[in-house]
Amino acid sequence: MSLVEIAGLEKGYRVGEIDVPVLKGIDLGIDEGEFVALMGPSGCGKSTLMNILGCLDRPSKGRVLLKGQDLSHLSDRNLARIRRDEIGFVFQSFNLIGRMSNLKNVELPMTLKETARGIRRDRARELLESVGLAHRLDYSPSNLSGGERQRVAIARALANDPSIILADEPTGNLDEKSTNEIMDIMYQLNKEGHTIIMVTHDIETTKHCSRVVWMRDGLVQEVTS
Amino acid sequence: MLEYVLLSFKADWSRALMSGLGIIIGVISIVALLSVGQGLYGGVSEQFGDFDMDLVSVRPGSGMGMGPGERPASTPEEPAEFDEKDVKIIDNVVGVEDVYPLKTSRALLSFRGDNASVSVIGILPDNHNDLKDVVARGRFLANSDYKAAVVSHDIAEDFFRMDISPGNQIRLYLTEEDRYMDFKVVGVLEEDEDPSYASNTCIYITHKAMDDFLDVDEYHYDSITVRAEDATLVEALAEEIEKEISRIHRDEAYNVEALSTRFESVLEVLNMIKYALAGIGSISLIVGAIGIYNVMTLTVKERTHEIGVMKAIGATTWDIRTLFLLDAGMLGLASSLVGILLGTLASDFVGSVAGIPQEVTLQSVAFGLLFGVLITTVAGIYPANKAAMLDPIEALRAE
Ligand SMILES: Nc1ncnc2c1ncn2[C@@H]1O[C@H](COP(=O)(O)OP(=O)(O)OP(=O)(O)O)[C@@H](O)[C@H]1O
Ligand SMILES: [Mg+2]
Repeated sequence: MSLVEIAGLEKGYRVGEIDVPVLKGIDLGIDEGEFVALMGPSGCGKSTLMNILGCLDRPSKGRVLLKGQDLSHLSDRNLARIRRDEIGFVFQSFNLIGRMSNLKNVELPMTLKETARGIRRDRARELLESVGLAHRLDYSPSNLSGGERQRVAIARALANDPSIILADEPTGNLDEKSTNEIMDIMYQLNKEGHTIIMVTHDIETTKHCSRVVWMRDGLVQEVTS
Repeated sequence: MLEYVLLSFKADWSRALMSGLGIIIGVISIVALLSVGQGLYGGVSEQFGDFDMDLVSVRPGSGMGMGPGERPASTPEEPAEFDEKDVKIIDNVVGVEDVYPLKTSRALLSFRGDNASVSVIGILPDNHNDLKDVVARGRFLANSDYKAAVVSHDIAEDFFRMDISPGNQIRLYLTEEDRYMDFKVVGVLEEDEDPSYASNTCIYITHKAMDDFLDVDEYHYDSITVRAEDATLVEALAEEIEKEISRIHRDEAYNVEALSTRFESVLEVLNMIKYALAGIGSISLIVGAIGIYNVMTLTVKERTHEIGVMKAIGATTWDIRTLFLLDAGMLGLASSLVGILLGTLASDFVGSVAGIPQEVTLQSVAFGLLFGVLITTVAGIYPANKAAMLDPIEALRAE
């Protein structure tokens, strides 16, 4: 059984009086340990797909299974639990909380899980060290460079040891040097066994990926290895 | 969770202060006003506490129909004049235990060359069962006594170089009229631990002696005090007495009143004042609540993106709601504590400057705390819910 199974997934948004279809019937399976790149022209529905996989949004039609569990009929509360325990999100715009230190940012998913204070502090410190930010624990994210921020975000995504990491254009706001640093970390994580789905516009960043899924106009166009 | 609330305080302490200000002021006014109100209440009830609740007072009226319990009169009336006849009539009313006709005058007391101003009270001794029991030395007066006096504690022990004892001779001067009369002291009273007007600084003589001492054309009582057999029936007794009195003194002004009635109505008014004051405090709290609501709404708006982030990494609706309610509750708690502190100081200040008795009670502190926290939390409910219900994707888009 695949880690992720998507079958006949459709998603439309209601704009005024009319339904605008965005995803028009996606079928896709992703196995544990894969590093999948998601590519395609702007507006084809990559982020929409990622949001549904990440339990931030619900399908209009079709099935999405994560570890065999159907996500389409879960309550808000259970979706939040899955986001907390199974998903590690990495966003293009980092989405860190500026009034907290990097350490607290990384602790936050564990705080939400009510992990004991000492344990979550140690783990957050370890994670920040593993992305090379041991010297920035008590800084605010707003005092960091883009590349450093994304490394904090990755550390946060790993906090509750998720089943899958969803990265929506993680290097979209970064220069080449930072992009390479982030991609090295992603590759390293994948080698350690993390399953990763990454949206990207930069073919260069897909060189370590097991597969590239090409999307166009709400459909999967082709899959290359 | 609490950690993050505290964090938001640290980051936003100036805003917290601003939004808490209304609550602080509200709690200050509640505590201060309740305390001053309670003080007034306590002070007055203490004063009234001396009055026996089983007494009915019968007095000549002013003739204007103005006093409480006084019969209203369309035309000014002559004040009623009470004498032995009235005492007999009242004594025959069912439910009367004792009747005390009184006549009071100031006089100068001279004892072994020293003088002191005292109150002289003419009484009907046989009726005064209350005073008979508190004789320390000697005996109490009898109705048949003439130039005999019973002296209260302070006069006997404190007023003169030498203590007055039974058997001593004293002289009373009627100050304005240059007249005097000699009395033999027959008894000295115990100290009244809970003194009402002049009870430790007066001299008791019989009405017969008082009549001759004052040497007036017609001798009338200043007042007749009646003790009821049953304190709970004192108001009905007052009505009964009034009915009897009205037969003889039909067109005269007088005033029959159970002392407890006056006491109760004053307490009632004070109670009303106390809660009216608290009401004013509550209004400022409500204004404070509106302030909290506004600031919280603003905060939610400003933190929309942050809420989106929290939700994306797994915060539930419940988590976010709790976070903001805790935020409001903590703000309310902090503001209330500050308000209680300042309110206590304020009531001390008002009390000492205005010379009003004040008393910070647990009740007023609890009231302030309860309202402060409750109102802030309630004001936070709607904004907290709004924050909790935000759609994570849309919230993440906000910046
Ligand atoms: N909430 C929404 N309401 C209406 N339309 C939406 C909504 N969200 C997305 N869309 C539309 O769905 C389409 C797909 O959007 P999506 O963000 O998934 O594209 P994308 O592939 O991630 O593009 P990009 O590469 O620019 O990030 C777009 O046309 C977008 O306008
Ligand atoms: Mg996108």
